[in-house]
Amino acid sequence: MASYSSRVRTDIARWLQVGLIDASTADALTRDVEANERKSLSFGSILAMIAALLFGAAVLIFVAANWQAIPRLARVAALFAIIFAGYVGGAVLKTRDHAAMGEALWIVAAAAFGGSIALIGQMYHLSGDEASALITWGAGTALAAVALRSNPLTVAAVGIADAWLFLKGFDYFSRAEFPHLFVVMASVLFAISFWSRSQAARHLIILSVIFYLVLLFTEYETLQVAVPIVVVSVLLFSAAIFAAEPVDWILQLGGRLPLHALVGFLTGLAMIQFELADLSSYNSGFAIASAVALAGIVAAIVLGGRDSRGLRWVAYAGFAFELAIIYVVMLQSMLDTAGFFLAAAVLLGILAFVILRVEKRMRAPSVEGAA
Amino acid sequence: MTGIRLIISAVVLALIQIGFLSWIIAGRAAILRDGRQVLLRVEPIDPRDLLRGDFIRLGYDISRIPVKLIANIPAGKLTSDDTPIVVRLKQGADGYWQATAAWFGHAPAPAASDETDIIGHVSAGWDLSAATTIAPDYGIERFYLPEGEGIAIQDDMRVRPFGVRVAIAADGAAQIKALMDGDKTLFEEPLY
Repeated sequence: MASYSSRVRTDIARWLQVGLIDASTADALTRDVEANERKSLSFGSILAMIAALLFGAAVLIFVAANWQAIPRLARVAALFAIIFAGYVGGAVLKTRDHAAMGEALWIVAAAAFGGSIALIGQMYHLSGDEASALITWGAGTALAAVALRSNPLTVAAVGIADAWLFLKGFDYFSRAEFPHLFVVMASVLFAISFWSRSQAARHLIILSVIFYLVLLFTEYETLQVAVPIVVVSVLLFSAAIFAAEPVDWILQLGGRLPLHALVGFLTGLAMIQFELADLSSYNSGFAIASAVALAGIVAAIVLGGRDSRGLRWVAYAGFAFELAIIYVVMLQSMLDTAGFFLAAAVLLGILAFVILRVEKRMRAPSVEGAA
Repeated sequence: MTGIRLIISAVVLALIQIGFLSWIIAGRAAILRDGRQVLLRVEPIDPRDLLRGDFIRLGYDISRIPVKLIANIPAGKLTSDDTPIVVRLKQGADGYWQATAAWFGHAPAPAASDETDIIGHVSAGWDLSAATTIAPDYGIERFYLPEGEGIAIQDDMRVRPFGVRVAIAADGAAQIKALMDGDKTLFEEPLY
């Protein structure tokens, strides 16, 4: 399996041969490819990470089984040994140029830390809820991410924070207060992600914050949540398009801020549409919101679609969603079941037509440019 | 950050995390070792936990405190704040300890030698009119069991009285010490 870097090196050699670039440019390109090569995920490092996650899950489930054959002090000692061996062994491997294995061991150690918290809770019958155990675990993992400057540990800390948000957000029985603490967690982890150079964590945090806002909306059912999301998303999108370089230099999202902003924009408008849907026969709020959504999707494709395939597909998904919700709210009452199939066929046809047209137009100029 | 510095960070990190966990263990063991022993009557509620295995949820006599026991409710206050509560316990004739008085926040005077104070927590919003009860929690509402034993014990609990022996530290923090089936000790917790 030829990797991107080896393919691009062949290309560089060919460009040099046919005189497209000179030797110094070729040299600079090759060095740049080599410098950035290790950042991409290789098959081996993915396997190592999967193995680490499985091992971590095994540790946690072993604790949950509360097996009496091993004295619990021995279980505590074993977990402490895994924590120590995981962090230190991972660091040793990392310095000996086995970065992927090192990071995987750190993940195992972080899982053992979480397992230890669960085991102590079990040993002393602590009745504190899972949510507070997750906070302790997440804080320990974030500390590890800072100390070891580790990208996967940062992502793991974000994942634990997300698990906490899920647990709190969907805990309908004993929901005492809304998990606003998540905003603090997200901010701290966002800051940590710059230190640990974890672009993946930043992407996950932004998506998690959007999810948090959806929860906030379902809790309070108010446009005071949705409208600011739309406005902020539009501002972020504009900033990301018209001041692409400085914005990406600050946030370092690999140029994907427009994509997140579009997700935020569509989410916010979907909230507004749900909120106004019941009133659609009384006022034009729903129609206006839908028109804004469609206009926003078109604007996003025109402004940012060329550079980002991901953005285009989010836009298509948003377009499909808009067609569906507009149909359900505005037309459904006038049509019977047969009409539904007809409408679905027409809507899918429109969707296919739009996607094909846009993809064709996006492709055409770049082909000309390469010729 | 390469080489020896990374390894030093890893060692320090591992020691901090292990130290933190050991500190929690030591604190809990100290309550078990030095705390005052109290026997509380329990009834089960419902089992299971996702991360830590089988447990039974325990409700105590003292999990329902009559509002009229609470001595320092400000006049005209209708619902509780989110607050700690001190509950004073005294041993009854049957051996089980019962609540004799309670205060939000702090107790005005230390407990007598045949009494002891346990600290609980009350969430906001409980009705404070005189005829009602409020439900504090004390951090001792779960008992973890070896996998598969939860249901059997819970079923037994429904037919005959069970008790929990609790160790209470001088500051009122409580720690489960043993699960009792009548006079018989089912599980006795070692210090570690």
